[in-house]
Amino acid sequence: MIDTQLMALLTSGAFIIIGLFAAIFLDNIIKKIIGIAFIEEGANLFLLTLGYKPGGVVPIFMPGMDAKWFAANSAYPLPQALVLTSIVIGASTLAVMLAIAMVLYKKHGTLSTSEILGDK
Amino acid sequence: MIDLIPLMVIIPIICALLLNILHGKNKTVKYFAIIVAIVVPIIPLLANYGLHYFGGHVPLIENSGLLSSLPSYISQTPIANFHLAITYSFESLQKIFIFFFGIVAFLAVFTSFNEMKRSSGAYGFLMFMGIAAVIAMLLSDDIFHMYIFFEIAALVQVGIVLASNTEDNYEAALKYLILGSIGGPILLIGIGFLLGMVGSVNITDIVFAVKNNLVNPLSSVFLLSFILIFFGWLYSAGLPPFHTIKSSIYSKALPSGGALLQAFSVMVFVSFGIAILRIFSVIPYSKILIIVFSALAMILSITMAITQTDFRRILGFLAVGELGYIGLGFGIGTQLSVTAGLFQALNEIIITALLFIGFGTIYYLTKVSDIRKLGGLIGVYPKTAIMILIGGLAMAGVPPLNVFQSKLMLIQSALKAGIPELAIFMIIMSIVTFMTFTKVFHSLYLKPKPRDLELAEEGIPKSATISIAVLLIISIVLGVLFKFITTPIFNFVGGIL
Amino acid sequence: MIEYVVMIIAVLGCVLALIQRDLLKAAILTGITGACIAYLFQFLLAPDVALTQAIVGAAIVPVFLALAISKTHRMDDND
Repeated sequence: MIDTQLMALLTSGAFIIIGLFAAIFLDNIIKKIIGIAFIEEGANLFLLTLGYKPGGVVPIFMPGMDAKWFAANSAYPLPQALVLTSIVIGASTLAVMLAIAMVLYKKHGTLSTSEILGDK
Repeated sequence: MIDLIPLMVIIPIICALLLNILHGKNKTVKYFAIIVAIVVPIIPLLANYGLHYFGGHVPLIENSGLLSSLPSYISQTPIANFHLAITYSFESLQKIFIFFFGIVAFLAVFTSFNEMKRSSGAYGFLMFMGIAAVIAMLLSDDIFHMYIFFEIAALVQVGIVLASNTEDNYEAALKYLILGSIGGPILLIGIGFLLGMVGSVNITDIVFAVKNNLVNPLSSVFLLSFILIFFGWLYSAGLPPFHTIKSSIYSKALPSGGALLQAFSVMVFVSFGIAILRIFSVIPYSKILIIVFSALAMILSITMAITQTDFRRILGFLAVGELGYIGLGFGIGTQLSVTAGLFQALNEIIITALLFIGFGTIYYLTKVSDIRKLGGLIGVYPKTAIMILIGGLAMAGVPPLNVFQSKLMLIQSALKAGIPELAIFMIIMSIVTFMTFTKVFHSLYLKPKPRDLELAEEGIPKSATISIAVLLIISIVLGVLFKFITTPIFNFVGGIL
Repeated sequence: MIEYVVMIIAVLGCVLALIQRDLLKAAILTGITGACIAYLFQFLLAPDVALTQAIVGAAIVPVFLALAISKTHRMDDND
């Protein structure tokens, strides 16, 4: 059987590489922004995978659980708390970028970054 | 008075939110903003040194009642030393920096009232949000917490540029934001590697793990996390390859915005720089890497500054170039050099704020930024011109002003560390900076006034003149009484190295 | 087994979103990718994060993108 954690890490790596490619090489602003969203999702997935425990349980302590068993089997909750914040930051950055893109479209009449940023 | 520590962050955030509730009542907003801006530098003077644990969760080792009830595989292992809560550490460095940053922020807020029609609205909100973010970054002992406020500060910087209503500000903001949203996740992945190795994001814990061989500092994962975090640091500080975009951001902002943006950059530079120095100084080539990028920043920025004709662009490049000195201080890595770098950072916040606000008055007067179309302004406003001249001399490192003291310390530390080449390099760069400044000053003030130059406004706003004067006084006082600043910083640096 | 399928769908959705000429289709594919990531979060023992990601990644981000596209230009002319 293939290791799930390794596969999740590879997926996050694929997300980051595809996103970087899009953000650097694609010309359309919206596509660049989509690429950046992919980078952020890849980074989140990477962080979360670090706390994963194969065959473990969700890190919520229910009444009736044995504390020692719980400590040995639960996933690591710290990355989950971090990712929660990071998702929100990613969404807000995306919203600001889209707003700027809309203003620039009104001014230049195009979504191509080389035409918008090129004359400087 | 240790409970005052989180207030340094909370008060600006609450103020930022309240400013927009009071929207429309212009006078109330002004007084409220000024009162809060005065309170911000006062709190660090009142607060005591110490650590603040959010939620009151102290490390297990300090809580003996709980520790004795835990099994031995927790209480007997290093886990007991780890910090459970987000920790704010308030030491002499934080006190000095937050105090002076608070003064600069106050003056920027004060100046901004004349630049904007309404004092509430997005601009005021962004300024206070940014102030809170960088203060939190400096206080925080938790690298992920720093990352969050770094992202907030990046968004705020973009917002300040957007709210400035200068030409082409949206293009520069979009460029900065795209680069930022690549740099941010890369920094996050670097933090993720550290988290995976140590299991904690607290800097003190990471340093503890490295020092006690819980983590192999020569492993490739540790090296990779260094490279990624270093890349994020380059972006946040505006070192190459990001110096062009950083300087264009400065030049697209209003004078008060420019002053504040440079202060943000310096504070972010310092907080991440200290974190990198503490965690990664065990990696053999880390300091050389810092030196190389700082020297590159100085060379590239100065050469770009010489070729520009827009004085706001020149000022932006000079400001980025000055950041290189701080980096050199960090890179040499002795106690004296890091102290000198930190002192240089403090001076730079003050001097660049002076120059941004000072040269801002010229743009306010003439609405022209091309130095070829300007001239003869010393006849119009001689007082401001002289104050700006002294500010420029201070930036170049003329005694007895404050930057002279820090640059002297930097050169001495380079000589003591056995790198005389760097000392010579710094002296040359100072001279070139001075030349560039003189060229700008000459073409703005001294050369004959072009015939078609007309003044768009009647007079310089009083708030700008007052701000320049206050900053100049601080600069002179710091130059004379520098011992009161450097001694506490020196002791602080001795504690972290 | 289903998690491997979801991973492949996520990466495929990623690539497909970036090669679309129609930007609205790209926005919808971004939503599919976000939903796949949300499922992976659930699988990686983080149900609360999965909830947030499901809302942000599968609903808010595509809607923002679609709004921006409807206000600007629907086709990517350069490809």
